Amino acid sequence: MALIPPAILALYFLKLKREPVEVPSTFLWHKTIEDLHVNSLWQRLRRSLLLLLQLLIVALIILALLNPTWQGQQLSGNRYIFLIDNSASMSATDVEPTRLESAKRQSADLIEQMRPGSAAMIISFCDVARVEQNFTTNRRELLRRLAAIKPTARSTEIREALLFAAGLANPGRTSTDAGDVQIAEALAADLYILSDGKMPAVDDFDLGNLQPTFISIGEASASNVAIAAFKTRRKERDLDQLEAFARLHNYGPRDEEVVVELWKDDHLIDASEESLAPGESAGVVFPLEQLEEGVLELRAGTNDDLALDDVAWATINPPRVAQVLLVTPGNPPLEFSLTTKLAQRVADVMIETPAYLRSDVYRKAAASGAYDLVIFDRCAPKSMPLANTLFIGTLPPLDQWQAEKQVDVPVIIDTAQPHPIMQLIEMGDVDIVEGRPLKVPPGGTVLIETQAGPMLVIAPREEFEDAVLGFRLVDDDGIDTNWPLRLSFPVFVMNVLNYFGSSHQGRFGDQARPGEPFTLEGPPGAKQLTVLTPSKESIRVRRGNLGVFNFSRTNDLGVYEIGEGNNELGHFAVNLFDADESNISPPVDNSVSIGHVEIAGQSFPRIARTQGWRWLLLAGLVVLMVEWYIYNRRVYL
Amino acid sequence: MSTTEEALLSPELLHRLERLELVTRKIFRDKFKGQRRSQRKGQSVEFADFRNYVPGDDLRFIDWNTYARLDRLFYKLFLEEEDLHFYALIDVSRSMDFGDPTKFRWAQQLAAALGFIGLIRSDRVRIEPLGPAAMQPSPVLRGRGSVWRLMDYITSLEVNDTALGLSEGIKQFCVRNSGQGIVVLITDLMDKRGYEAALRYLMAARMDIYVIHILAHEELHPELKGDLKLVDCEDGDEADITVSGPLLKRYEQTLQAFIGTARDFCGRRDIVHLLAHNRVPVDQLITNYLRRRGLVR
Repeated sequence: MALIPPAILALYFLKLKREPVEVPSTFLWHKTIEDLHVNSLWQRLRRSLLLLLQLLIVALIILALLNPTWQGQQLSGNRYIFLIDNSASMSATDVEPTRLESAKRQSADLIEQMRPGSAAMIISFCDVARVEQNFTTNRRELLRRLAAIKPTARSTEIREALLFAAGLANPGRTSTDAGDVQIAEALAADLYILSDGKMPAVDDFDLGNLQPTFISIGEASASNVAIAAFKTRRKERDLDQLEAFARLHNYGPRDEEVVVELWKDDHLIDASEESLAPGESAGVVFPLEQLEEGVLELRAGTNDDLALDDVAWATINPPRVAQVLLVTPGNPPLEFSLTTKLAQRVADVMIETPAYLRSDVYRKAAASGAYDLVIFDRCAPKSMPLANTLFIGTLPPLDQWQAEKQVDVPVIIDTAQPHPIMQLIEMGDVDIVEGRPLKVPPGGTVLIETQAGPMLVIAPREEFEDAVLGFRLVDDDGIDTNWPLRLSFPVFVMNVLNYFGSSHQGRFGDQARPGEPFTLEGPPGAKQLTVLTPSKESIRVRRGNLGVFNFSRTNDLGVYEIGEGNNELGHFAVNLFDADESNISPPVDNSVSIGHVEIAGQSFPRIARTQGWRWLLLAGLVVLMVEWYIYNRRVYL
Repeated sequence: MSTTEEALLSPELLHRLERLELVTRKIFRDKFKGQRRSQRKGQSVEFADFRNYVPGDDLRFIDWNTYARLDRLFYKLFLEEEDLHFYALIDVSRSMDFGDPTKFRWAQQLAAALGFIGLIRSDRVRIEPLGPAAMQPSPVLRGRGSVWRLMDYITSLEVNDTALGLSEGIKQFCVRNSGQGIVVLITDLMDKRGYEAALRYLMAARMDIYVIHILAHEELHPELKGDLKLVDCEDGDEADITVSGPLLKRYEQTLQAFIGTARDFCGRRDIVHLLAHNRVPVDQLITNYLRRRGLVR
């Protein structure tokens, strides 16, 4: 572009079209021209008003094309790191179009204002961080990667992103030796955090060479009504009956009227209207009749700023009977209690002799988690199975389980009534002939306490639980206790079955949070399950090391279908029940705390600098009109 | 190109011109003013020349001796009675064909008017165009009867591309005409080769020289605009100019300087220089300016 004015000058002087005019004699004109030395460049320029004007116009147009800007912020650093929050709360629409889009736009503005030669890095973070673009000076690439950042439904945790950012600015040393030379130079970098600030403080982080700026995005007047909880539960007494529980919370500053609708498989089956004051919670209970298994969807009809938490799903999974193995040389009361009609509804019980423990079938089943509960009566396996266990009269083959010496007639003085196993049990009329008090292992809970010591203790073991009864129920040489004759015994057995048997549901739940790995239940022996995500993507999951299926691609909110081969096994739901994300109003003091440094939030209005090209073009137009006027009216300077 | 649609001089103008007569300064330097034909007796009248008798001449000055001898009427001329030769030299170069009315037309008119005056006063009038040899000068005309021939001749003159330069044309004129008299040079003096040589020739011929420096109004105050390529109509010479105020001012200054130089030159050599432009009517020039200058009376 710098060549254009000289080109115009050259053209002007070389090929000036002159109108030929006949004059009587050029004699005097030559004299005049000579006198004036008009041929000299300077004189020509001085006299040539029109040429000057044309040059001026071209200069203005070129300046306009160069797109100068002013009245803006010039980023003066060399290295920039942009941390962009794409957690669930950034999908709020209180800032048009969404907070994430606004963050991307402001980042794009900042990138545009970088001096040529500056490098920038883009990291997006929700509860994990992802380097979208490594340090580069290629502005187009930066903008492209920036535009490709997608919103997620996950929560906010900035630590990992900060660690990535610090990787360059504060490089570590190869060793802790004081005399060691640093492997790389610490380069200062400007750190821009674009977020709504809904994140926990990160205290153990040293900013070092990072110059942080927190650009807060989000309006204080953002309103949001969230479904904070939604689940279904089968009534205990009647497993065919279902209830749905939902809890709504108003995170906004205004009163809200919300209509919640309960849908099953595209049919509206119930609705309720709630009004919520700011900060108030309301619970809704939907009694449901006998429903087949399926998916329930709860919709909160509200026009709030975050739509992610206005829908929740819950799954109705078929009641699954527990797989129970009883290994006993012979225990009629126990066997009888385990095979009542009621018990059969809850559990499938297999009864084997201790010799079964040495069989390959048992070994395989125990190792694959096929059982939910194994009851060892007066026998013990070599190694613990992948199941909950109840040891009666024996100790598990683990170090933490120890028993005292046998005592005679331990008297029961207390039972842990609140515990599900001990609910509704009254043991005042139970006598025990002899038993061995147990030492409580770490994390254990005493369920039956006698004056000699604990007699029934339950303790966790990884994802299972083991219960140990310190006394026998029956014995070869007669009865050790009269408990089986008491009313509380069958209740105890049912409690055990319910607790250990259905705990797989309680253990794993049928819901997960976005990003959380979810453990799938598969039928014993299944090698591979297929999961269909809400976005209709089919993912295969293999059985993991611990015998369970781990599924971690829970990024989408919605219902996931579990299948094996062509069979549908069930569903599970991923919901955003996250108070930190649903509460989308910016933090009170509008700052984030990193390494005990409070970084106050700034909000930049459109940082874009004033584009000067319009004014220059307008000036060029005015000059053009002046030139036209002069040319036509032959105004002389 | 001379127009034949209208007469060169209007009848009213002719009527006015009849009252005038041409005057020469040179001869009167030695003689009494106001009288061309001296009638003084007792003074030795130097006999100068004979000329043919033309009806209307004074009968007293007929040379009866010669008549007796040759049977032809001869008129005696005395010094003070010398015929006034009046020459009008018209610049017929292409540059004269400029302006509205053209300088050439104006020159024709002037030549015709002065010639007319001379003719009715019985002066010898000859019109010479400063053109190529092919362009014949007019014959020597005398007397009122030759007026129509005068007009005819002048009207037939045309601007010529092959016109000679001033000095060349005047040199030829001097060669052709040895007598003394009044020379009225009607030209724009726009000769690239300069006019000094030409005027010196005339001076050497001891003529009473009047230079009517005729310029077109458009030359004096050009109305040019923009970027122009000025083309000389005579030799095609080009000058590129970009018109601007200062340029025009400078041009006029140059022009004035040119005129001033010419005037100085003429003034130092006893040549009458008169600037005229084509918007001034010929009669006004004659009755006003030329009378003041002493060419007519």
